[in-house]
Amino acid sequence: MEAVLTVQGLCKSYGRKQAVNNLNLRVQRREIFGLLGANGAGKSTSIECILNTKKYDRGDVRILGMDPRTERKAIFERVGVQFQEPRCQDKITVEEICEVTRSFYKNPADYKELLKSFGLSDKCRQMVSELSGGERQRLFVVLALIPDPELVFLDELTSGLDTKARRDVWKHLEKLKAKGLTIFLTSHYMDEVEELCDRILILKNGETIFQGTVADAVSQSPYDKLEDAYLWFTGEEDENESL
Amino acid sequence: MRAFSAMLGTELKLSLRGMDMAIFGIGFPAVVTVILGIIFGEKPAFQGADYTFFEQSFGAVASIGICASGVMGLPLVLSDYRHKGILKRLKVTPVSPSVLLFVQVAVNFIYSVASLVLVYLISSLLYGFRIHGSLPGFLGSYLLVLVSVYSIGMMVSALSPDIKTANLLCCALYFPMLIFSGATLPYEVMPEALQKAADFLPLTQGIKLLKGTSLGLPLDNILIPIAAMAVISVVCTIVSVKFFKWD
Repeated sequence: MEAVLTVQGLCKSYGRKQAVNNLNLRVQRREIFGLLGANGAGKSTSIECILNTKKYDRGDVRILGMDPRTERKAIFERVGVQFQEPRCQDKITVEEICEVTRSFYKNPADYKELLKSFGLSDKCRQMVSELSGGERQRLFVVLALIPDPELVFLDELTSGLDTKARRDVWKHLEKLKAKGLTIFLTSHYMDEVEELCDRILILKNGETIFQGTVADAVSQSPYDKLEDAYLWFTGEEDENESL
Repeated sequence: MRAFSAMLGTELKLSLRGMDMAIFGIGFPAVVTVILGIIFGEKPAFQGADYTFFEQSFGAVASIGICASGVMGLPLVLSDYRHKGILKRLKVTPVSPSVLLFVQVAVNFIYSVASLVLVYLISSLLYGFRIHGSLPGFLGSYLLVLVSVYSIGMMVSALSPDIKTANLLCCALYFPMLIFSGATLPYEVMPEALQKAADFLPLTQGIKLLKGTSLGLPLDNILIPIAAMAVISVVCTIVSVKFFKWD
């Protein structure tokens, strides 16, 4: 199988704090890969180091076989990114930000179609700053999909969405996956991870404590649900029981 | 090119919605023109001069728009985008730093030209101003001043690590240039020592060129300021594109 993303021995520290330690992973084409962990476990730092929006101390990253430090343009022609809590220009409208984003790519997807499938087509003329939290979140997922990417990074893709909107986003991502899209995501919702992810990696204080399929994670734990297994791996269930 | 034109259209709209540049880049020079006109009207620049004091100031006032847009408007927008993480989001797209920089240059160029046209209209319609010297010479000097001031603005916007630094640098560049180069306070009324100090500011040399070409005065020693401004432009532009900071 072809690896779309490989990370080897990635380390990043902030001063004395080791934010990510020796991260190793491979994501295959058409796979949905989930990076899990509590707040502050190092998920966003890992994504930012992979994308070269943060410098890492050691390691090697290849996206579509290329080094993001030297081949930024070629990579991001084919890769979409949604950061956590992204911001945009004041007073820009939904249509304007989509138009500008589209103009960056050689073969962009039709953003009107994307807005429609994410329930935003009636918001075209609205300012982004006037959207609700859930609408904003969906808009930034749309922006990440405008490049018509082969690989997309979604950092907390459905935080702030209601149940129905989350289901709609999942459905759309499954559809894109069937067409060949590879997805790298982070999420705090285990139902989402169970529904979407082929493989997961759990981080705790920057260390990898599990990597494998959702089924493996469950079977290696004494529980039969991913949420319980996840808490068991991260050691957070003990704290709950002792309360 | 598609990215450039799409961004230019949007950034221009955003800037107009923001109003800041319309006030500082266009309104302010117009107001200064009117004030100078009211105070000096058609008085001669000095006894026996064949041009008015107002005409002598035209070149300087015309450059206020360049200053306001070049070292305030241009750097502050990109620094704000850096501060908000918008540039970080753009870093993970194929757009190149030079597109981002030159879009801002173009937006501000439009303001500058609008300001020049407005200042010219007010001056000629209300205060009988006309170009005594060479119009192509004046426009050429105007462009040269604009390019050199903008290249400095570009460098500030490309390299400022945060919005505070950008603000500080902008003020450190903007106010001395505006006050001491002759853009607001006429160079002719400054004491000689101050004139000598002001001569080091790139805009002072630029305004001398603008004055000389608009009044039709003989220009001697113009090669050095022209060369200096050209060198500043080239160096600053290369540095901005090469060392552009995304966050």
